[in-house]
Amino acid sequence: MGRDKGPDKGRVMDRVIGRDKKPASPLGVNVGDALPPFVLPVTSTVIVAGAIASRDFMPAHHDSAFARAQGAPDMFMNILTTNGYVSRFVTDWAGPEAMVRKIAIRLGAPAVPGQPLSFSGEIAQVSDEGDERVIEVTIRAANDLGDHATGTVVVSLPLPRPITGSSS
Amino acid sequence: MSKEEVDTVREQLERFIGQPMGAPATAPEAVNVPMIRHWVDALDDRNPVYLDDELAATTRFGGLVAPPAMLQAWTMPRPKIEGIAERGGAPDEMGAENVVTALDQAGYVGTLATNSELEFFRYLRPGDLLQTTNSLESISERKRTGLGLGYFVTWVTRFKTSDEEEVGRQLFRIFKFDPATIGGAS
Repeated sequence: MGRDKGPDKGRVMDRVIGRDKKPASPLGVNVGDALPPFVLPVTSTVIVAGAIASRDFMPAHHDSAFARAQGAPDMFMNILTTNGYVSRFVTDWAGPEAMVRKIAIRLGAPAVPGQPLSFSGEIAQVSDEGDERVIEVTIRAANDLGDHATGTVVVSLPLPRPITGSSS
Repeated sequence: MSKEEVDTVREQLERFIGQPMGAPATAPEAVNVPMIRHWVDALDDRNPVYLDDELAATTRFGGLVAPPAMLQAWTMPRPKIEGIAERGGAPDEMGAENVVTALDQAGYVGTLATNSELEFFRYLRPGDLLQTTNSLESISERKRTGLGLGYFVTWVTRFKTSDEEEVGRQLFRIFKFDPATIGGAS
């Protein structure tokens, strides 16, 4: 205890999944429930790793001088990476059976090095379609510059199958 | 001469609406585990359905699937690194004339992405080879925003596999603006 190692992804995840906030069970959620929050420590490495993994070689996503010359405060995260973290934020909570059906975001303040991005989410709608539960989550990823991304993510989860006898 | 008066630019853009934007593009390679692993590590996304065969086989997916947000990554054009900064970040020379280059030439050289709406109809599996088509949905009337005068341009990209199954779609909107008109100057 009391160790000060600075921001560390493992510790952030412990806190997110963690014990201090009871995450809503994905199938049992109600409208208004909050997702476990998540804070991404945004660094140049985070931005470049996402850009290259998404095969986006635009200089604004790896070259600070280029980005500044274009009027941005610094190199900034590309949209594919933002969508990737939004997806991860929701499936970290919803689990491996979740299927993301939709990610609709409005883009705002850039995600730049040194500005942690705070992800928050709230259940906006729950409905059943056939053998799936469909959950709409309102999400926000914000930093000190403002809202980086706001919008909705729709995920579906298989409903437990009733235990019955022979189906023939 | 004020740009507020006659909007001849908008009239010239009308012909692009509803038209394809460029030729259909095919992914350089099929959905594959090495690229998935690269993404999983880059974003530290530990959902086991992306890389854990055994666990993935027990889920509704029945095997490994690609992270949904990688959809666009599969069909990103191969970049030509030399000169990329001079091209404003475009991966390669722009082909035939399109709405973006037409707006650039008319002085609306600023670009700001404003909306992305991704829909996934099914998750991709290793071996899926994607093709995309883009069509221009709409161009707004000229608007004044905090960035200056410009147009909201919206297009839709459809992602299909080689057997024509539509697996995903993206609506994308940008604001193309003239930085010289910021703050109401004309």
